[in-house]
Amino acid sequence: MKKSFKSFISIIFLAMILSACALDSSSSKQSAVPEKKVNTPAKDRGVKVFKAANLSALPEKAKSRKDLFIAGISAPGGVFLPYFYENGWDGNATDPIFAPLVNLDKEGKPVGILADKWNISSDQLTYTFHLRNGVTFSDGSPVTADDVAFTLTLLHDPAYEGYQDISLAAIQGGKEYKEGKAKTIEGIKVKNKQTIEITTTEVNAKALLLLGGQVLSKAYYGKDYEYGKLDYLKDLYSKPLGAGPYKFIKYVPGQEIRYEANEHYYAGKPKTKNLIFKVIDTSTSLQLFETGELDYASFSADDDTVGQLQSLGFANVRVGPVNDFGLIYVNNSRPQFKDKKVRQALIYGLDRQKIVDVKFKSYGEVANIPVSKVSWAYNDKGINKYEFNAGKAKELLDQAGWKAGKDGIREKDGKPFVIHYLTRTAEDPIIPIAKENYEDIGIKFEPEIMDFNALVAKLNKKDYDFASVSTSQILDPSDPVEEFATGNPNNAAGYSNPKVDELIKKGLNTLDIEKRKEIYHELYKELNEDPPVILVHYRQSARAISGQIKGLIPDNYTGIGASLPNISIKK
Amino acid sequence: MKQYVLQRFLQMIVILFGTSFIIFFLFAILPGDFIDSNISLTPQRAQELKSLYGLDQPILHRYLNWLGNALHGDFGYSLKHQEKVLSLLNKYVWNSFFVAIFALILTWSIALLTGVLSAIKQYSWFDGAVTFLVFAAMSFPSFFISLLFIKWFGVDLQILPIGGMIETGSENTGVSYLLEVGKHMILPVTILTLLSVGSLTRYFRTGMLEVIRLDYIRTARAKGLKERVVIFKHALKNAILPAITLLAFELPGLFSGAIIMEQIFNWPGVGRIQLESVSFRDYPVLMAFTMFLSCLTIIGNFLADVTYAAVDPRIRLR
Repeated sequence: MKKSFKSFISIIFLAMILSACALDSSSSKQSAVPEKKVNTPAKDRGVKVFKAANLSALPEKAKSRKDLFIAGISAPGGVFLPYFYENGWDGNATDPIFAPLVNLDKEGKPVGILADKWNISSDQLTYTFHLRNGVTFSDGSPVTADDVAFTLTLLHDPAYEGYQDISLAAIQGGKEYKEGKAKTIEGIKVKNKQTIEITTTEVNAKALLLLGGQVLSKAYYGKDYEYGKLDYLKDLYSKPLGAGPYKFIKYVPGQEIRYEANEHYYAGKPKTKNLIFKVIDTSTSLQLFETGELDYASFSADDDTVGQLQSLGFANVRVGPVNDFGLIYVNNSRPQFKDKKVRQALIYGLDRQKIVDVKFKSYGEVANIPVSKVSWAYNDKGINKYEFNAGKAKELLDQAGWKAGKDGIREKDGKPFVIHYLTRTAEDPIIPIAKENYEDIGIKFEPEIMDFNALVAKLNKKDYDFASVSTSQILDPSDPVEEFATGNPNNAAGYSNPKVDELIKKGLNTLDIEKRKEIYHELYKELNEDPPVILVHYRQSARAISGQIKGLIPDNYTGIGASLPNISIKK
Repeated sequence: MKQYVLQRFLQMIVILFGTSFIIFFLFAILPGDFIDSNISLTPQRAQELKSLYGLDQPILHRYLNWLGNALHGDFGYSLKHQEKVLSLLNKYVWNSFFVAIFALILTWSIALLTGVLSAIKQYSWFDGAVTFLVFAAMSFPSFFISLLFIKWFGVDLQILPIGGMIETGSENTGVSYLLEVGKHMILPVTILTLLSVGSLTRYFRTGMLEVIRLDYIRTARAKGLKERVVIFKHALKNAILPAITLLAFELPGLFSGAIIMEQIFNWPGVGRIQLESVSFRDYPVLMAFTMFLSCLTIIGNFLADVTYAAVDPRIRLR
């Protein structure tokens, strides 16, 4: 879950401001491509691979590195402890050091890392994790069920102020422990050194990842633990110890993070001895890659960047969809947006194709389903595409009772139709396009530019008409839709539809992916017919891998994380 | 004089309290706080976190709390970096300082030289060329000129590094470390100098022009002094007097970091920390750093007044 955190809304426009990098923090690992390296175009879901044509063009700097792999990172903060960092980039920085029990594979389906296997009881409430034989932390001490229990207990501590909301997993007795009514958490049972059983009180398809997160060593992080006091951990933020493929060597503030292969890694010592995450800025990452300072870099895809990367000759370039989407929130709780005909009209009346073309220069697509195209839940059968149609929009507005008033602006009950639009950058192409489109159908469109926190604060207070945002990386198809449930505290759209409520609940109420696929397909059809928001875009990223690097297959769920142990350098 | 210094000193303390109050309230009334930016939190969790961080208390209460701690030298923990504010700033502020101080020295030397020369050769081809060049350098947007220099010297010629402060993975220490950092500093310092040299050159030129028209210069020339002596001994002293004020204003600038330059060159300076603290509403960092800069500004002003009185006999402080 680490990736979904503070990066939450990475605003629709990747502005040049730093904060945007930080907010978009997950994108370095989220962007990209879900499949085997080459030769499987059918499964590629739109991923294009351009092979390096001319390895002799490799820059000297890259050639001279025989045992070191360098990737870029935007703005790490130096808190190298999962669950405690407040900066999404630190999540990327801790990933090589800390291994979870369970992670997502390139398809977004769970796969065991430190856990060999897990069983889920038939009532889908009890999870039993079996740890692999002989897994150890990088100091050689064994990873045991006690460590897992300690990690989960720590997250229930009342002093825990991090991003992880473990209460969502609803572990039995977790609340009592947090409130100080119980000494231990009832639902966590250590069966033996390698087996742990966790009982929950609600079926939740997302609980597996919450429970099977990164494991902290009890001997290392828990030796000074007292209930309600976590400040001692601050001293350990800069000295991480985990069971991941690499171990931490050094952090040079604002410059780079250095790692060395962990010889105790369960799957064998990684092939490349040294790893560095170098702090880069998006405005010069292409130049850094070009001169061989980086072995791997990810870019927002557009014609220029992809062309330039190809022309380098020494880069393997993979262009593919990113695991998020862009949308415009519509405030359903305001009277003018209550009628679904109006919301439909607002989609028909907006030339989203043009917006996407302007923004992504032939590398974007209009979104019509609230999940990214890489998700297993994506299914566009029977989905209305809402192609741009001003006539249809006018017709729907007429039906909804919005009649043309004086100076061409539609009115109802004496009130003119005005949309107040919040966005974060003046370069947002939605501003001119929507202004023109909406004026054409008789709606006044007034943009306002504000910073991210202010926008989110307005969103939460439902003090807006339209607000433009983009989701963070989507780990589970439930992530972007569950807020549309009536009464969901994060329902910033103020949307309510009983059928949708039921389907959202059903979608989380089973752990069977095949069943969930059908439920989400139903849900998407309903959300398509009665739209809570205006879906805008799917975007793509271009990931460049230096030609001498083998075994690196970035995916959409772990970024380069899953490939780290397999990276080798052609000598 | 003593009385004046004491009086000013007391004033400074009052001003600092006032500033801290205004800054704290301005930041606090910005919509959205540190927790709000994470919209994935449930409202209960957000409420829990707000009370853990003390964000749910009334502003005045928070201010007094902050003030009490600050007076004891405790500026709190950064919310985002989870680290003591002072140690965080200490890590980055010197990187900004070294770039700024080199840029300052270069800027002032170049501006002084070209400013004076173009004043004494007013309307010559040299004056025209200098005027043209400094205005050109000044008018380039900093990100553009930075990227252009990176392309020329970093990518095409490959003689200077593209960014950062050290080579990736470098283990250098001692002199070789200093050389390495120096090499990485060339482009940022050059660009900062280019951007600020223009206005200062014009300033010195104008100051010089005013002075050489004064009667005492005519007198100096009349008594047969060499032109060099007239200019550098008699005119220059008076021409650079107003620059003392300017120099004092540079004091906070030495520590504030150059946000755009630091971003483009990946320079691990404090400008980036500052910008982040605003966008994430990281109040402890924001407060500590802004107060630090206000202190420097106020002290800079004070020093300017005092030195001015010391070097210019026409000014008397009581």
